[in-house]
Amino acid sequence: MIEDVQSLLDEEQEQMFASQSRARSTNTFNYATYHTLEEIYDFIDTLVAEYPQLVSKLQIGSSYEGRPIYVLKFSTGGNNRPAIWIDSGIHSREWITQASGVWFAKKITQDYGRDRAFTAVLDNMDIFLEIVTNPDGFAFTHSKNRLWRKTRSLTSGSTCVGADANRNWDAGFGKAGASSSPCSETYHGKYANSEVEVKSVVNFVKDHGNFKAFISIHSYSQLLLYPYGYKTEAPADKAELDQVAKSAVEALASLYGTKFKYGSIITTIYQASGGSIDWSYNQGIKYSFTFELRDTGSYGFLLPASQIIPTAQETWLALLTIMEHVLNHPY
Amino acid sequence: MQLRRRPLPAPGPGDPHPAAELCALLLLLALQGAVAAPGGPERSGWRQDAELPRGLLPQAARAALHFFNFRAGSPSALRALADVQEGRAWINQKKEYKVDLVFTTELYDSEEGKERLGKCSARVFFRNEKPRPAINVTCTRLIEKKKRQEEDYQLYKHMKQLKNLLDVDSIPDSHGHIEPSLRPIWDLAFLGSSYVMWEKTTQFLHYYMAQLSSVKQWKTNDDAIDFDYTVLLHEFSTQEMIPCRIHLVWYPGKPLKVKYHCQELQTPEEASGTEAASAVAPAELNNF
Repeated sequence: MIEDVQSLLDEEQEQMFASQSRARSTNTFNYATYHTLEEIYDFIDTLVAEYPQLVSKLQIGSSYEGRPIYVLKFSTGGNNRPAIWIDSGIHSREWITQASGVWFAKKITQDYGRDRAFTAVLDNMDIFLEIVTNPDGFAFTHSKNRLWRKTRSLTSGSTCVGADANRNWDAGFGKAGASSSPCSETYHGKYANSEVEVKSVVNFVKDHGNFKAFISIHSYSQLLLYPYGYKTEAPADKAELDQVAKSAVEALASLYGTKFKYGSIITTIYQASGGSIDWSYNQGIKYSFTFELRDTGSYGFLLPASQIIPTAQETWLALLTIMEHVLNHPY
Repeated sequence: MQLRRRPLPAPGPGDPHPAAELCALLLLLALQGAVAAPGGPERSGWRQDAELPRGLLPQAARAALHFFNFRAGSPSALRALADVQEGRAWINQKKEYKVDLVFTTELYDSEEGKERLGKCSARVFFRNEKPRPAINVTCTRLIEKKKRQEEDYQLYKHMKQLKNLLDVDSIPDSHGHIEPSLRPIWDLAFLGSSYVMWEKTTQFLHYYMAQLSSVKQWKTNDDAIDFDYTVLLHEFSTQEMIPCRIHLVWYPGKPLKVKYHCQELQTPEEASGTEAASAVAPAELNNF
């Protein structure tokens, strides 16, 4: 059923010429192309206007350069229900992630009330989705440097700009797996949460107090990772997280055969300190995962737009697997 | 503990490949630093590393594959890594690694389908973070030799027709798009980059070609294609983008000639709060 809706949307998109003008509805929005920050923010407003009972937009802060930072809240009611956090675009050059985030937002509105498993999730839990976690970096990838990764904060005493927002969290901050040089791509920043983009999320998640899952979306490498990145010691819940990851990548592969490896950050990708899911796990949010989406290096960050929808579709199956597990294993 | 007594070591698991001679020579050159003098087992004998540092096998596979692509010199038959199947490693006292491994590959340009998998076996020597790992690699054929030569020649003829390449901005563009008529440029650039990436790969560092950032020169008036360009190489563990200037000369069927100069990768320990571009040490190597 959902596949029919999607193909309808695809057909509609093919009939429309690519234009920069604002799509008048999320049904005419072109999901198969990369968008600017303005276009994504317009999409967010349009989605909220179309599904006011389900979706709301929250501003959780402002970026270093003064751009609003938005989170979409998907909720069917209740009062501060157990919640799932999903963020994309913390590294601005990983364009497939923001593009997938946009697709997920639409997918949530489509599947609620139609897909039984997903409806159960949203009937009992809330979903918070931050599509552009690093808006300054993202704007910079459009205007000046497509391969910019970090934030755009200025560091006194250096001519280099930006910190790696995924080395700035308060989990093993400053330890091996990040750089102390402001010119490095993995510069951890002056101190933990020095980056307002990170601090905004930390404040929001702590204030909310009832998150049960925390998922960060990155690219590339085709991996599904759980803590830790900053130390070799296994998390107490390793066995369960490993099992969930295994099921999730199997679900992902079921669609197009895309192979993902899985494991802890430090054993699977590299040692990385100050990462978001290490922080969230240490906060007690057990189901903490990082995705590294397509591909494995052929195109890398410059993934062709033709792969946006397939990537989002397969990743959604993995997210669903995780969300269902969270629903069925309250804690 | 393994002692090497023979001056010219056997190249490894069954190896009837025509490039075996060169491989053996490379092995010898690499080993000259690492091999114990006969009768001195304490010096730098190899002991098997049962723990196998995670990531060592994929690192070795990448290095071997870059080397393979470079040696094959065939822009129409570039391969990408599919899976590492098995491997063993030995370490010596100089912390150099010898890795034997088997891995599968697929065609890099596999738009049609990824069914075709080639199998490679390789021996890779990592010289403790020094560049130029010594490689001995054999792969099963993915494309029939005549067909490959013909496709290379077709690419070559197509390249001879191309004009106005100095206007080329970035390939792929921001949206990951490569104009089909310019795809051969990407393939040739990747072939040249393979040489660079082979040399720069260590047991910790590995690279992908992120983007062809400019074309400095494209000469086809002589028989060969003379291609001078810049690329951005993405080093994965540091996440840095390394600009490299590459100059290659290619003619189908002939060995590829490459000259290059990359901005030096600054390790976190070296960088000291100054502009990343300031610490450029020319690393010009060439096999012209």
